[in-house]
Amino acid sequence: MTFSTMLRTMSSGMLRTLLLFILTLAGSIPLGMIVVFLKKSKIRPISWLTKIYIAIMRGTPLMLQLLVWYFGPYYVLGMKITSGYKFIALLIGFIMNYAAYFAEIYRSGIESMPVGQYEAAEILGYSRIRTFFKIILPQVVKRILPAVTNEVITLVKDTSLASALAYQEVFSLAKQISASQTSFLPFVVAGVFYFVANYVVAIVMGRIEKSMQYYK
Amino acid sequence: MKKFLAVLLSALCLATLLAGCNKKETTENTSVQAVSSEEEKFVFKHGFDLDYPPYSYINDDGEVGGFDVELCQAVCEYYGWEYQAVPFNWDAKDAELNAGNCDCIWSGFTRNGREDDYTWSISYSDNTQMIMVADDSDIKTLADLTGKVVGVQTATSAYELLQDEEGQKKLCDTFASLEVFDTYTVAFSSLKAGGIDAIAIDVTSGNFLMSETPGYHFLEETLGSEQYAIGFRKGDTELCEKINAALKALVEDGTYAEIGAKYPEIEPFLCLKPEE
Amino acid sequence: MEKTVLRMTNIEKHFDDLEVLKDINLTVNNGEVVSIIGPSGSGKSTLLRCATFLEKIDGGEIVYLDKTAAKTRVLSDGVRKKVEYAGKSEMKEIKKCFGLVFQQFNLFPHLSVLRNVMDGPVEVLKRNRKEVEQEARELLDKMGLADKADTYPCNLSGGQQQRVAIARALAMKPEVLFFDEPTSALDPELTIEVLKIIRKLAEEKMTMVIVTHEMSFAEGVSNRVIFMDGGVIVEEGDPKEVFGNPKQERTKQFLKSYTE
Repeated sequence: MTFSTMLRTMSSGMLRTLLLFILTLAGSIPLGMIVVFLKKSKIRPISWLTKIYIAIMRGTPLMLQLLVWYFGPYYVLGMKITSGYKFIALLIGFIMNYAAYFAEIYRSGIESMPVGQYEAAEILGYSRIRTFFKIILPQVVKRILPAVTNEVITLVKDTSLASALAYQEVFSLAKQISASQTSFLPFVVAGVFYFVANYVVAIVMGRIEKSMQYYK
Repeated sequence: MKKFLAVLLSALCLATLLAGCNKKETTENTSVQAVSSEEEKFVFKHGFDLDYPPYSYINDDGEVGGFDVELCQAVCEYYGWEYQAVPFNWDAKDAELNAGNCDCIWSGFTRNGREDDYTWSISYSDNTQMIMVADDSDIKTLADLTGKVVGVQTATSAYELLQDEEGQKKLCDTFASLEVFDTYTVAFSSLKAGGIDAIAIDVTSGNFLMSETPGYHFLEETLGSEQYAIGFRKGDTELCEKINAALKALVEDGTYAEIGAKYPEIEPFLCLKPEE
Repeated sequence: MEKTVLRMTNIEKHFDDLEVLKDINLTVNNGEVVSIIGPSGSGKSTLLRCATFLEKIDGGEIVYLDKTAAKTRVLSDGVRKKVEYAGKSEMKEIKKCFGLVFQQFNLFPHLSVLRNVMDGPVEVLKRNRKEVEQEARELLDKMGLADKADTYPCNLSGGQQQRVAIARALAMKPEVLFFDEPTSALDPELTIEVLKIIRKLAEEKMTMVIVTHEMSFAEGVSNRVIFMDGGVIVEEGDPKEVFGNPKQERTKQFLKSYTE
């Protein structure tokens, strides 16, 4: 196999990795927000269930969760799955897992906000929703950005766990090509890919952080 | 569910088992040194994939077992060597071999297509790649696989056959997609659950999976055939010849057939016969 | 007779077992400047927080203009009491009656100075943005901060931030403005510029209730001084009387500790 053939073969895996990465972020970042609200809910069973959900998501390996989401419908519910379900199972698994982590990051950010901000908004007559979205959230975003960046970088690397469900992302392909070509080169290619992807993430997140540096 | 639990449990057990193995080995090592301090015992490091039944796997007693493991142990016994199990990740087998962590790759290892990559022992078993489907599947021939989703384990001969231009690449191109799993166990779970339509697998591995779960069969047409042999570091002919000699001796004294009889999935494919 | 802006009667408040306010009565008339003084822990800040609904009262009645915000009903057993606050939409109207200036300013750091002042009138009162902006700039000018409109709070000194906070409160055009120790977080020289502004507002007949530790300021600016200690109003009256000739022993002691 020539190097260009290897790159061409692996590029399809890179696209799949990026697709999984982007869709996971697009799903888990807003879902994490909903999870925080549910956890902070005054209705006991809801906040209780949310706590259990977060504990499971953080307390068990993501790879195991992916297997459960994929095979669960069959082994637990006796439903036949289809080949198209695999990607859905992956997305559910990744989004649910990352939403739990994002929720905890959001929570730490929200809880770090001084109570004076809420009180000032209340005195001005802001509704609770307006207070949250106009006063609290913009400041929380600034506070949690470094933690979110960490999480996003972890996600880029975690996408390789999708190989558990035979999703042909870049790391699975690297393993397969490496085995058939008895060469270490595919791993180097994969390594460079992850590094570059994370470099881009770091630059983008750095830009966002910078754009919020106009206030302290 | 049972099977699924078995997958999870075996994964969990693996770690503890390996830890246990290591401990055992160290104690054995010290005792060997105590007994024969004047003559250092040769330690033969058997590299294999723990997830490749029935050649090498965790057996029902929770110990490292399989046809290849037993045969290798018999070879060590023949020479009075100490046997050391080196289970590795199949993807990392070349790194393990070249780094000297193991002396050979002996784990249902296909020589076809890899002739120039290793120094090979004589072949000790044949195998055939087949397509495995559910009994109620509408797939009856290889041609029926057009537009179907087929699963395979990564870095196996079945996988390589489907990727080989001179092998079954053309057939593979008719599939809707080829799903490459880390293990056949997960691929089989996926077949049962309906995630894939068929599995490309060597007949011994396939028989092993089907022996525990009825309702599946092979298509009559085969994908190809292969020979299993032991792969040594390229140029390690001395060790290779020694193993060849031991294998021949074990064939002659019947040990080879004896071990084979314990593995009905493998027995029909054993290709070494005692000389008349 | 001046109209009554705020009437608080028989206010009770406790945190767990600790009684913070015991049967407090406070009336504020239009155009009046009331200073509340007293040692820390006397309940004066809590009283302000109850008046602005940041804390809920455990007994008593709060009326703004003619609107009852909170009243107390005795339960059928004749012992326990239940405080009932007005409905959501009614409270929304009542809250427009007052503004509050915090000790820690509590400006919104992510909004420019101008937007800090404008956001309330635009977002809550739904007023015309252009009109509000003009008023906001005038207010900032009055605070001596005309050139700071487009900067962010973090670039301002504490005194400047507190003046923005006053402008923000005034932009809502409240009937009464509360100050909760407005200069306690400031250096002496920054304190002066804030007090100057409050004095100016007093001259303009702004109704104000000020919790403060600045005794000479309180004496100079107020129409009435209230001395609180241990959750009760110990003495209340004309500033010259309270400061110059206190009737109560506790008031004397407290004032003495300040002059020493």
